[in-house]
Amino acid sequence: MKWLGPFPLSIKLPILAAAMMVLVGAVASQQVLRALARVQDARIQELAQMHVEGLSVALGPLVLRHDIWEVYDTLDRAAQAGEGRRMVLTAVADERGRVLAATDPRRVPIDSDIADLARDAVALENLSVDGSAGVLSLLAPLSYQGRTVGQIATELDVSDLLAERRQALVYLLVGNAMAVGILSLAGFAALRRMLRPVTTLARQMTETQGEPHPIADTDIPRGHGELARLARTYNTMVGAVADKAEAERRLAARERFVALGRLSSSLAHEINNPLGGLLNATDTIRSFADRPDVVRHSADLLDRGLRHLRDVTRATLDQNRLDRVEQPLGPEDFEDLKLLIQPEVTRRALVLDWSVEFDADDPPGIPAGPVRQIALNLLLNSCAAASPSGRIGLHVWREADALRLDIADTGSGMSQAELERLLGDGPLSPGGGVGLRIVRDLATRMGGIVDHVRTDGVTRVTVALPTQGSVQAAHGTGGPAC
Amino acid sequence: MACLIGRRDLVGAGLAALVAGRAWAQPVFRLGLTPVFLDNDAAVIDGLRRALSRGMGREIELVQRRTYQDITGLLLERGVDAAWLCGYPYLQHADLLGLVAVPVWRGAPSYQSYLIAAAADPAGTLTDLRGGTHAFSDPDSNSGYLVTATDLRRMGERADTFFSRSIFTFGHRNVVRAVADGLVRSGSVDGYVWEALAAIEPDLTARTRIVGRSEWLGFPPVCARRDMLGSDPVQALQRALMDLPTTDEGRRALAALHLDGFQQATPDLFDGIADRMRDLET
Repeated sequence: MKWLGPFPLSIKLPILAAAMMVLVGAVASQQVLRALARVQDARIQELAQMHVEGLSVALGPLVLRHDIWEVYDTLDRAAQAGEGRRMVLTAVADERGRVLAATDPRRVPIDSDIADLARDAVALENLSVDGSAGVLSLLAPLSYQGRTVGQIATELDVSDLLAERRQALVYLLVGNAMAVGILSLAGFAALRRMLRPVTTLARQMTETQGEPHPIADTDIPRGHGELARLARTYNTMVGAVADKAEAERRLAARERFVALGRLSSSLAHEINNPLGGLLNATDTIRSFADRPDVVRHSADLLDRGLRHLRDVTRATLDQNRLDRVEQPLGPEDFEDLKLLIQPEVTRRALVLDWSVEFDADDPPGIPAGPVRQIALNLLLNSCAAASPSGRIGLHVWREADALRLDIADTGSGMSQAELERLLGDGPLSPGGGVGLRIVRDLATRMGGIVDHVRTDGVTRVTVALPTQGSVQAAHGTGGPAC
Repeated sequence: MACLIGRRDLVGAGLAALVAGRAWAQPVFRLGLTPVFLDNDAAVIDGLRRALSRGMGREIELVQRRTYQDITGLLLERGVDAAWLCGYPYLQHADLLGLVAVPVWRGAPSYQSYLIAAAADPAGTLTDLRGGTHAFSDPDSNSGYLVTATDLRRMGERADTFFSRSIFTFGHRNVVRAVADGLVRSGSVDGYVWEALAAIEPDLTARTRIVGRSEWLGFPPVCARRDMLGSDPVQALQRALMDLPTTDEGRRALAALHLDGFQQATPDLFDGIADRMRDLET
């Protein structure tokens, strides 16, 4: 039945129903033929018995007297009778087996041995129309007044019974074929109609491009049958899935704000530090306004500090500006990332290993937003995971068809829950953040692969993003990690 | 209605009733029949009975038995008033039986015995049939037994040893059937019967062939006990047989029997049969 596997249920079930009908028809036909065979056997046995008994009564005294002519005349007249046509040949022998007369004297002459004729003969009780031969041979004792005075050998023409059986077989085959054909078509149509809700359900689940749609109320079967309940349950599930997606979207947005808060505090710290220097520079300028070299030196200091603040502000703006999301990835995106992560690195007194091999003349054609989000989430996660004075690193390089991002840290490694969020598609366990799952979702949508390895106390997460094709379709807006 | 019937009508009706009452009052005449002729045809038998009954003016009962011996026995024991026998049993009991009439067939009161075989049988004479099976009609039949038996005797043979097996069919038509169907190789049959069958059932006789014919012998006669020959019933029978050609019913009966009529005969008509009987007894 494996060959039925590729066929849809609406085809398989009618085929199975038709096969069952064929099976039932075959069994029924077999029973009918068997019953017909029994009837024919009983009929031929009864006929042969009547023939033998009738001849015994008529021929008994003639055989005793060896009256050959009267035996022949009786046989000949019996052969002319209606049922005599079935008896194609009858021969009567005396008690020693010598033929007295036969309906065909030329074939079975007087005084020949009846055993020659009855070589394939069977007894009356074994007479059966089951062979392919159209003539049955019977040998029976000729009893008269309680004793056997001779033998009767008869050949019965059963070709009409065989033809009747063949005709019955043909009728059964034709009838069954027609009945099975009609019933199969009716069953096919009925099952197709009955299974239409299942087909609709399957279509709604498979042909909705990743987002299941509810079944229209008009397509839901009326009543409270299994299929109606299934359709309603499916609609309920679709609603639950949509609610869950909405909840995840809101959670991601909240995570984004949390991350922004953390970034903001780092940025505030980053800005506060130079602000002190800048204020000192303005005091120095006021105090030594008459000293051009001091003013120039303080102005340079102010200029560097303000430029730094401008860069930080621009990077922050770029990180959150929506119109950057679909912009192609460029080397400046990684510079922004470094600028954004630097305050957190500095705050946690970490060592940052930064290596970006990016050829500006051969851009990978990947949207910048998701890549920035992936890298930032993983870098922030590494910052949180790395112990103070630890090391984190980002290594970006191009391969033939992919851009690879390698984020490493010397932290204690990811927990099982974190690995499940990063590497699996299972449901999120409560209590954890969604940053790692956002990394996985974004990478998956771009057709990428996320890999994790922990060696020599270093946790290394590698993201391989294809440089063409599905990257264009990726459009993640997830928030930062942790 | 009565006034319309005249005196002449009344006298005529009375005479008719007297004649009818006389005929009805006669005892039934019993005529025995051997299977010498076409006894299997009920229409033929009935036609003969009606013709003779009308000719004799009395009712006739035709008595049939399987063998010649049965009929001859009935005649001798007065079980029948007369019988259509064969020349052979007539001569066997010539001291007690007398001739009433003899049929005329093809212009003469004589016939032949035929020795027949299957149409495809190559036998040309009786000698060629040695070792085969043979069908006789009746042991008291001249044409159906005596002729072949005496022919064999004249050859120094006996029927029970010359043939591998011989059977009696007790009917000339049965002899023809036995030979035609292949039950036996050859048969002895009344030539008159064979010729009549050739006209009535040509398909049957076409399957047989005449191997030999005997000399002309006296046709099977109608006999009665000698002591009854002068009795009225027997005389009436004789007249009725002679008069058959004079009535339509009688002519139809004769035509059905393929006979020309009946005539009186003397015992010397059967001298040929007597010769054979002597040959067989010696």
